[in-house]
Amino acid sequence: MKSVVTTVIASADAAGRFPSTSDLESVQGSIQRATARLEAAEKLASNLDAVASEAYNACIKKYPYLNNAGEANSTDTFKSKCARDIKHYLRLIQYSLVVGGTGPLDEWGIAGQREVYRALGLPTAPYVEALSFARNRGCAPRDMSAQALTEYNALLDYAINSLS
Amino acid sequence: MDKRFFKLFNLTEDQAIALLDTPQDQLSEDDSRYIAASHLVNFPTERSIQALMRAVQQTDPALDNRIVRRKSVETLGWLEAPQALPLIHTCLADEDCYMVENAVWAIGEIGTDDPDILEDVAKLLDKPGQTHRVIIHTLAKLGYKPSLERIRNFTESTDPTTASAAITAVCRFTQDYSEMGKVVAMLQHPNVLARRLSIQDLIDAHYDAAIPQIARCPVSLVFRLRGIRLLAEAAGEAIAFETIQPDLERVLYDHPKDLDLVHRYEQPPALPALIRGLYETDFGRCYLAVQTILENYAEEAPEALFATYAEEAVYDYGAHFHVVKLFGWLKHAPAYDLLIEALHNTQPQFQKSRAGAAIALGELGDQRAIPELKACLETKIWDLKYAALMSLEKLGDRGYEQVIDDPDWLVRAKAKSQQRQLA
Repeated sequence: MKSVVTTVIASADAAGRFPSTSDLESVQGSIQRATARLEAAEKLASNLDAVASEAYNACIKKYPYLNNAGEANSTDTFKSKCARDIKHYLRLIQYSLVVGGTGPLDEWGIAGQREVYRALGLPTAPYVEALSFARNRGCAPRDMSAQALTEYNALLDYAINSLS
Repeated sequence: MDKRFFKLFNLTEDQAIALLDTPQDQLSEDDSRYIAASHLVNFPTERSIQALMRAVQQTDPALDNRIVRRKSVETLGWLEAPQALPLIHTCLADEDCYMVENAVWAIGEIGTDDPDILEDVAKLLDKPGQTHRVIIHTLAKLGYKPSLERIRNFTESTDPTTASAAITAVCRFTQDYSEMGKVVAMLQHPNVLARRLSIQDLIDAHYDAAIPQIARCPVSLVFRLRGIRLLAEAAGEAIAFETIQPDLERVLYDHPKDLDLVHRYEQPPALPALIRGLYETDFGRCYLAVQTILENYAEEAPEALFATYAEEAVYDYGAHFHVVKLFGWLKHAPAYDLLIEALHNTQPQFQKSRAGAAIALGELGDQRAIPELKACLETKIWDLKYAALMSLEKLGDRGYEQVIDDPDWLVRAKAKSQQRQLA
């Protein structure tokens, strides 16, 4: 699993050298942010279902045309589509918070997944809209500390950016 | 191409264009330019194409605009708009690797033999941080042979999906398919995306020799059916229906005993943990859970399945499918009504549960299902019709007469094969 630490060691090893000063600084930076990341990970884990359902419920409310009846755009369709996949992405975001790098998202949620969505004609818009809602809705200190929220939002942005 | 999700956002063309043209800071809270850019895929008109091109030229680097630009390029690719090629060409130099990926993909969809564009795509192979797999796909699809040696450098890539695409492209360029075994081996990779995407590479290479291994690959049957079908269609008359029929039907039947599973449990987990396993996004793990439930918890499982269905699986299109199938394998007669409901569920993301329910009803052996299955022969969903035929055959019904001239060639071939058997 790729993280700041494994990346630094892998590139030092590939060159047959010790980690450089700047390598160690980036590891140090990652460690300094670890408390905030783990706080965000803990809060997210204990609220995963609520965050996911709030995100898709809000989306439906926000985009009334998603509610129109019909084979491909009924409310239930959109809700259940999101419920499953948003939870999956939030779980990968939670792993990434723990790891301290985007490895879990990259390896399990993004690399190749974009191709799958295109090949099967699956819509990315519902994920993007629901994750955007989750990002805009987070509030410090109500949900978590400001530093933890920064870490969490950075990963939400990363997921939105790379899925769209 | 499966387009059942394309009309998800019920906008008119005028509304979507107006939305896409609205400056980001003037949008109301209820609107999304990203959705507009996605939705224009439904309108292959000059107006839509021009609107999408205008959106690509809005270069505000804010995230909200960046994703709209990218999506607009993707939609231009779907619309196969050659007038957008010069503009998409300029996107190859973009800083944003996903914009570059979409531009490369769109060029592949639109098609070109312009050597300047193709060379610029090939040069991206030397640029780190790009989605090299998609670049390789487009170069192979458009037959740009000067990129062969550069592609060859990726055949040993540590990323299995890039290596798979590179091996396939080299085989296609050189017409030497001796290395394709390495791509076939990826069907057993521990990473689910490597397994899924190697099927795409086998399709691209027209490597129909791999059909039996594709059938046994532990990924969702959607990927396996797509692979077998596209390979058979590419082969045309070179492959007889009877050759692919056993593998095709094993995939539609979709029992875990017919799969080469890549995951193992150290100890069989307790039933609640196995039920959770049905919700995994890697179907390889779901099939392992299904098999373990069948082997260890056949007695207790129905109650737990009804409970998880009511609570969650009814909304979760992955677990929904496995619950439906399990009721069939368990031959659990009280699940009849649930299966009938699943059989007629028209929500698009539950589509694979419909064919799954058809198979499960065949397992139950309840004759009341015959008219219900026959009603499915009227739909346009080929795998549902085929699965219904398999179960009708099991229930001793001559449903094939209804689809002997079906527009779908696989359904027609199945009906004719049943007719011959009974003649």
